[in-house]
Amino acid sequence: MTMEENNQMTYTQAVTELEALVQKMQDPQCSIDNLTDYTKRSKQLLDICRQKLTAADEQLKQILADIQQQG
Amino acid sequence: MPQPSLFSQQSQGVTLSEFNARIEAHLNGKADIQNQWVIAETSDLRLNRSGHCYTELIEKDSRGTTIARVGAAIWANTYRDLYHKFLRATGQVLSTGMKVMVNVTASFHRLYGIKVVINDIDPNYTMGDMARQRQEIINRLKAEGLIDRNKQQPWLDVPRRIAIVSAAGAAGYGDFMNQLTGNPYGLQFYTCLFNAVMQGAQTVPSVMAALGRINTYADMFDCVVIIRGGGATSELNSFDNYDLAATVACFPLPVIVGIGHERDETVLDYVAAIRVKTPTAAAEWLIQQGANALARLDELQDAVVTAVRDTVASAREHLAYFNSMIPATARRIIDTNRLRLDNYAASIPFAATGLITSQRTRLERAAERMGESVARTMQREQQRLQALSDKATLLSPLNTLRRGYALVRAADKCVTSASQLQPGDSITIQFATGTTAATVDEA
Repeated sequence: MTMEENNQMTYTQAVTELEALVQKMQDPQCSIDNLTDYTKRSKQLLDICRQKLTAADEQLKQILADIQQQG
Repeated sequence: MPQPSLFSQQSQGVTLSEFNARIEAHLNGKADIQNQWVIAETSDLRLNRSGHCYTELIEKDSRGTTIARVGAAIWANTYRDLYHKFLRATGQVLSTGMKVMVNVTASFHRLYGIKVVINDIDPNYTMGDMARQRQEIINRLKAEGLIDRNKQQPWLDVPRRIAIVSAAGAAGYGDFMNQLTGNPYGLQFYTCLFNAVMQGAQTVPSVMAALGRINTYADMFDCVVIIRGGGATSELNSFDNYDLAATVACFPLPVIVGIGHERDETVLDYVAAIRVKTPTAAAEWLIQQGANALARLDELQDAVVTAVRDTVASAREHLAYFNSMIPATARRIIDTNRLRLDNYAASIPFAATGLITSQRTRLERAAERMGESVARTMQREQQRLQALSDKATLLSPLNTLRRGYALVRAADKCVTSASQLQPGDSITIQFATGTTAATVDEA
């Protein structure tokens, strides 16, 4: 996944992928060979999700401020 | 006959005060217009500076046409009591457009005309009427399949883009915004206010217009919040409105309603996806969704850590198992093979003895058979020799000689023709018994 693809993910997409990944990691059949990649990706997804919830999207703020002014 | 002049008729007239005095005399004090309970609708209700309350009492027919009307007053000292009594019972302020049952006394004053004074009000009647109206709307929404429609709108995991319908300056809006922006989790919300009148006759068209504006930006938002502050003193009649409820029910986004009341539910509460009591509670609900999501992320993070630890631990266990298994397995393989060798070693003498015995038996049998065979061959050969001997005897020259023939030899060669001999040659003649030498006289 490129940075751009990560940025374009919605919270729902990211959290859905994360849930599936965690399920894979919890599978007793999970290969230790995949573990590093899985862990790396899950950390990435956790960051994306947290960032979606807490970081301000200034562009969106501005758009909504404009709508509010028109309304 | 002269017509009576107008003047003479007028001369028989009475003064207005006299006339009004007669009306007074007819009306005032009559039992059936004193303390009479009357069912009516309030209209144009207002307070004056002295605290007196004035209203029109009207009655409409089934088509909505006003068919009776009278002005009425509640004097200030009565109004203070009735105001609280009505509010306590109905959760609403006595206002225009309400169905009421009021205890009235009518009187006529020669200066002020007919005056109807309200002495008391029965809030139960108003409550019953409101409940009936509300129930009718709810029944209709149910029949049309609208009552749960907004509840079926899908929610995003965390609704953060929020369209707000409220009055810009209202305390409720301020409470909502403070709560949302000051949330302790650092959650980011994006709000957009769609200003609306939230009380009085303009409420329904104003809120519906705001919803219409939100609808044009529907894909910009995750949900709608309709809020107003004011608690129990608010008028809520406006929100028991079919058109507004149907609009909310069919709205393409989930709607949260927090219109500030404790006692009663409005029709709007029934159709909203989420109903809360106050604007603050609406903000708390939204914050809780975000907090739940953050908590879920923490859980997932823990799950990742645990899964990594477990997978590594289980791989280690596997290794340790193999590690411990290898010597044991090797030992077992060696033991198994040694046992097999031992078994072979033990079985060799038995096998050899058996083999030798069986071969010996075979040899012995062969020897027996050989003896028999030799004897048989010998016999056969003897018989054959005898036959040959007999044949030889038969063919021997001796036998021929015995029959009177003689054998002539010259120079040790048998003479079989006279031509072989010359006169004077020495010859020997062999008989069956004995030999005689001779000389050839003539050839």
